[in-house]
Amino acid sequence: MTTGQWRDEFGEGLKNLQTCDAGLETVERIRGRCLAALEAQWQRHYWRTSFAVTWRRWLEPAVTFTLSALYLVNAVHSSFALLR
Amino acid sequence: MEREIELRLVARLKSGESAAFEAIYKAFRPRIFSYLVRLSRRRDIAEDLLEETFLRLVARARDLRCDTSLAAWLFTVARNLHVSWRRHNALHEDRIFDLTPSWPVPDRGETPFEATARSETERRLEMALARLGLQDREVLLLVAVEGLTPSETASVLGLAPEAVRKRLQRARERLAAEMDAETASPQVKAG
Repeated sequence: MTTGQWRDEFGEGLKNLQTCDAGLETVERIRGRCLAALEAQWQRHYWRTSFAVTWRRWLEPAVTFTLSALYLVNAVHSSFALLR
Repeated sequence: MEREIELRLVARLKSGESAAFEAIYKAFRPRIFSYLVRLSRRRDIAEDLLEETFLRLVARARDLRCDTSLAAWLFTVARNLHVSWRRHNALHEDRIFDLTPSWPVPDRGETPFEATARSETERRLEMALARLGLQDREVLLLVAVEGLTPSETASVLGLAPEAVRKRLQRARERLAAEMDAETASPQVKAG
């Protein structure tokens, strides 16, 4: 085969080079690890998001209300103490 | 992979769908592995880097942009991991032949790619590619073998598009020279 013929085939030859894959065991191991990592990541995200939603919807108003009530009780108690 | 399908997969992966990851893994794994094997010239290293590449994809799935090009993203990570591995091992390319059972090495027989090459042209291309310097090899692998556009290749390599074009031209010339040398002296094995 001449040099010229070699050159004509370079572009096609490179495009058609074989793709090889990792061994089956490696493929499955990587797949398993990645899926487990994806699952763990989304569990963490879920718990963080759930806590944030729960905090905003219930806990924050409850804590605010309780603290306000305690402040009011303390203020009333102090006022009565002053009057006495 | 069609762009529309790719965008949908990215959106589904961002929302944590494991089926989206499976589809991406199936589509890109052989390409990334072949790239890493030809880059590192070691199958065991390529497997480790492949694993790390996809673990990084999973770790950063939620932060991906909606218009992410998966090919460019994955090849960028794979390439950077390879660069880190080389730095960590502080291996000069010439020493690799002395220290590791890499190819092409005299008297070690054919490489896996050569052994399964479908034609003489393919075998000689694999040998010529393996003999090229790392910079030439990686730009040829990305553009000519993997089919990335010059702008995608530029983002993978961290270069300006013009620099990629120049590097590609030089790489093609050197590959042609290697092929010519192989044609002229077919008995001479690389190494």
